[in-house]
Amino acid sequence: MADQNPQTETVTCTVDGIEITVPKGTRIIDAAARVGAEIPHYCYHPGLSSPAQCRLCLVEVEKAPKLVPSCSATVADGNVIHTQSEKALQAREGVLEFYLVNHPLDCPVCDQAGECKLQDYVSAEGPAMGRTREPKRVLGRDDFGGDVLFYADRCVMCTRCVRFMREVAQDERLTVVQRGSRNVIDTFFDEGLDGNVWADNVVDLCPVGALVSKDFLHKARAWDLDRHPSICPNCTQGCNVRLETRDNQVMRMKPRHNEDVNSHWMCDYGRLNYSWINRGNRIEAPLVREGDRLSPVTWSGALTRLVDLVRGAQGGARAVVSPFMSNEDVGALRRVLDVAGFGGGVFRVEQGEEIVLPGFPTLALRNDRAANVHGAELLGFTRAGAADATGGLEEAAAHTGVLFVLGDELKDAPADFGRNAALFVYVGHFLTSQAARNAHVVLPATTFAEMEGSFTNVQRRVQRFWPAVLAPGMARPAWQILGVLHAGLTGGEVPATPADAFAALGTVRPEFAGLDWAELGSQGRPLPEPRALAEAGD
Amino acid sequence: MAYPYTHPSEVRVLSKYFGDPEARTLKGWEARGGYQALRKALGMERADIVAEMKASGLRGRGGAGFPTGLKWGFMPKKEPGKPHYLVCNADESEPGTFKDRELMRWTPHALIEGCVIGAYAIHAEHAYIYVRGEFFEASQIMARAIEEAYAAGYLGKNILGTGIDIDVTLHIGAGAYICGEETGLLNSLEGRRGEPRMKPPYPAIAGAFGKPTAVNNVESLIAAAHIVLNGADWYRQWGTEKSVGTKLFCVSGHVKRPGNYEVPLGFNFKEFIYDVCGGTPSGRPVKAVIPGGSSVPILTADELDIGMDYEAMAAAGTMLGCGSVIVMDDTTNIVKQVRRMVDFYAHESCGQCTPCREGTAWAAKILRRIENGRGTEEDLDTLMDISDKMSGKTICVLSDAAAAPITSSIQKFRDDYLALIRRNPMAAAAGFAVAGD
Amino acid sequence: MSAEKLGFDSPPESWPVAQQNPGFAGDTGEFAQLTDDEVRGLSYVGLRPEDGGHAAVAGTMPYQVPPKKPEGPLFEGPYADRLEKILSRYPDRQAALLPALHLAQELRGHLSPETMDEVAEALQLPPAYVRGVATFYTMYNLGPVGKYLIQVCTNISCNLCGADRVMEALLDATGTEAGERSADGLYTVIEAECLGACGFPTAVQVNDRYYENVRPEDVPNLLELLR
Repeated sequence: MADQNPQTETVTCTVDGIEITVPKGTRIIDAAARVGAEIPHYCYHPGLSSPAQCRLCLVEVEKAPKLVPSCSATVADGNVIHTQSEKALQAREGVLEFYLVNHPLDCPVCDQAGECKLQDYVSAEGPAMGRTREPKRVLGRDDFGGDVLFYADRCVMCTRCVRFMREVAQDERLTVVQRGSRNVIDTFFDEGLDGNVWADNVVDLCPVGALVSKDFLHKARAWDLDRHPSICPNCTQGCNVRLETRDNQVMRMKPRHNEDVNSHWMCDYGRLNYSWINRGNRIEAPLVREGDRLSPVTWSGALTRLVDLVRGAQGGARAVVSPFMSNEDVGALRRVLDVAGFGGGVFRVEQGEEIVLPGFPTLALRNDRAANVHGAELLGFTRAGAADATGGLEEAAAHTGVLFVLGDELKDAPADFGRNAALFVYVGHFLTSQAARNAHVVLPATTFAEMEGSFTNVQRRVQRFWPAVLAPGMARPAWQILGVLHAGLTGGEVPATPADAFAALGTVRPEFAGLDWAELGSQGRPLPEPRALAEAGD
Repeated sequence: MAYPYTHPSEVRVLSKYFGDPEARTLKGWEARGGYQALRKALGMERADIVAEMKASGLRGRGGAGFPTGLKWGFMPKKEPGKPHYLVCNADESEPGTFKDRELMRWTPHALIEGCVIGAYAIHAEHAYIYVRGEFFEASQIMARAIEEAYAAGYLGKNILGTGIDIDVTLHIGAGAYICGEETGLLNSLEGRRGEPRMKPPYPAIAGAFGKPTAVNNVESLIAAAHIVLNGADWYRQWGTEKSVGTKLFCVSGHVKRPGNYEVPLGFNFKEFIYDVCGGTPSGRPVKAVIPGGSSVPILTADELDIGMDYEAMAAAGTMLGCGSVIVMDDTTNIVKQVRRMVDFYAHESCGQCTPCREGTAWAAKILRRIENGRGTEEDLDTLMDISDKMSGKTICVLSDAAAAPITSSIQKFRDDYLALIRRNPMAAAAGFAVAGD
Repeated sequence: MSAEKLGFDSPPESWPVAQQNPGFAGDTGEFAQLTDDEVRGLSYVGLRPEDGGHAAVAGTMPYQVPPKKPEGPLFEGPYADRLEKILSRYPDRQAALLPALHLAQELRGHLSPETMDEVAEALQLPPAYVRGVATFYTMYNLGPVGKYLIQVCTNISCNLCGADRVMEALLDATGTEAGERSADGLYTVIEAECLGACGFPTAVQVNDRYYENVRPEDVPNLLELLR
């Protein structure tokens, strides 16, 4: 944690009659936001440079000869700033009317409707009627490659997309072509945005519906979507995201701001890999083997039966876990395995090329393409198998004691996988593979999108996520299932909440005990170093 | 003398050798007293040159009229490892202006002298001359002159044995009026789109390549050389208290004797147009005059009895600008000319700022519609409002410049607009009398 | 109802009369003794070398533009030298972009996507960036133009003195539409903004040369001179 220098120079100003003290160098637009005055703007974005060219953020500053662009001007001591004065409002109304001169006003067919900054600002401060009677310029639609589609007519020339590619992605693929009112955003002819894994961030940045995602095109209306804070499951970076859902289906993922992890950005690989969350054919009830059939039972039936089976089994316990399962799930499994005699466990993870975002190098699309590889490792599981997430199951297949599989679909496992085990328990989501059907007990678990929990990312940062969709059937979070099982085996307490499940992790790995569930909040916290814990006498 | 017509009222300082082909050669220039200013300057203290400029009251001749001495005085203290630059703005694109072309093609060495003196004064070792791309002929003359100057030791390392190094690079533009704007020029020099930058930071702090820079017009630099040679007091013998010295005025349009004339600032405008330039060729009355290039408000024929200096022009509701006088007689279709000017601004807008990008294009379309007889009186109100919403709200003043002809012509020549509007079939149906019937 | 029918639009009587016009170097007024060469400084400039001459001026085009080479690499031989000289005058490679694009256009006649890519590579700049800069400026041709690119200034000073009629006359005489190439590939006629020769209306720029004081009746003469 960086020290807060108590001697940081501050300045005091008045915004809309409210006095406020801010650090020196604060932009007027940010100072105004602190008192609740949201100034309309396009070209300004906290993650990019500030060219002050949209001229929408003009405010009146007493004693200044002209209206001041609040996104680039910094607060000087004693400034009296009016964001809603007559002159400022008229100027902004004028600028908004200028935007509407050539805008096609195709809201009925534009994806951005409902989350469009042009709609918002015009309805708040724009002219009631446009006065233009001239024909509008028509530029049409352009496919920029990758997931990005460009509707040139809607563009407000804020150049956020150009500046993102230049400053953050540092791969200047977009440019402004021509001059004046003939300005249009384009790529280098056919080169497009193909091959750049950060391209979809321009869709997030675009304040209007000029840059849209092909994946999301005409799929859902913004006002139908529910938005839930979560963590991207698709690599170990752990970008903070929002899962946006409608009718219990995830429609898209958007990044959430976290300056310590992903700033305002996320990669296309992560962003577009959400359809697996929506897969159907889920296991909907606990199943117990009777002969060669798996029969549905109640939870209490399944778990009381399982407690007996685990107690009665010999030969120690091994496991195969999925790195898509949360810290709490994996931790709860580990505690159960410890009761039966932990003999080791593996996880398989797909791997790919690491691609760093040059303008924000903390963020990269990581090699390991699952969110909780580091959580699994910390909790005692080891990496196995090939870079395509196959193989590595030999020891588990040969095991004759208790075998748990948590979350791994076992797609590549041989058909007789698990038949050697005295007790094979499959806690997961799908029964697609023959191997999974060999289990003695099958327990339906929730995915990360259906529960509260946490992941540990590549920086050893623990980050919480919240449920976005309802769990199917009788599925429960794995930490709850295994927590009950553990309580049944040991006579201990049943974890009632995710906070309880998280607190239990401290018994498996001491670093987790150094974190408080509530304090993790929506931005997460790094795990304390083991040495630091020892020094603190924990 | 000014070119191609002369008049006894002229004071020939900068334009003395216009029309004298020998003056552009190095030998010819030296024979005519050239390069004495350079010698004198390199023997002076740099700070003294800046002081002399301030004392002379020379104001930038590119249109803004900012005191040159003050501009050079803004340069920060020279730090080692942080080069200063002098940039000469020879991107002459303001409609009606053609003085820098004449200065460059008749007296290229005068500009080289001015650049060296200016660079020396501000601790710069490199001066860039940014010439507009269309000026092939003028730039080639400058190129030959620069080569001659290098060969003779007036440029480069250890100039004339003084130990002072000053290089000049001739950089050509590629056709953009907005590159005549100071910061647009700097961006163009750096190989970018010529879009103006926000000020602050001012070029004196962060200009070309992020280093302290002074951008000066061709005429200003040449005048500076004369001031260094002859002294500030000598320069003050012409002009008024606040608008000192002589200026090249470019006259075009409906005049008998168009061309460049060099007169002291403060010269009477009416006398200038009717006497010096000979009035209109047809003898018809003057209808309107633009005194300072298309970016300044238009004057009617009754408003001409003022001095040609910055203060008097401002008092008359217009600006001296770059001193490009465009005369229009009463056969002129004012609406068509204003439309053409606004078309120019719409074409040349860089497109960064929304009011300018959209406003100039929109205004041009409305004016075209009015010119073609399909306008309404509401359009005039819309045009005035567009002009108001474009002005004072942008990074540079191109939109203010576009607004100037619109507002001044609607205020002063409203009848011309109405005549065209009343030709609108829809207006006729609404009961307006149709002119000329 | 056009403005002209209303009875006013700067008829020829309102235009200044050029006293002399030697070879279209412009009105010489009281300097009648000057020749075309003296006004335009041709013999002073002389023949400019292909490699640009002194590094300080290597970024400007030689007076006598060499025959264009539509095929073949851009920066080799004297042109490679020229590019090197240009690069030596600026603190970074990006600043050489405008002169380099002029060089490329000089050789190729216009800037195609391939040409822009080659310039981008030579200067180590992103191609999209080069495209953005090249399309900003009017002088860079983005498509092929005729052998004679005829630009007629129609801005206010020339407009007051018949520029529209000169433009029409040129379009008629060359048989082209504005901005298009003539069928024989010889001419492209376009309107230009103020060329900076306002005292000599109407100014017409053909390739690298200004023709001044062009009246509509001078147009056949002008085209003769070109051929």
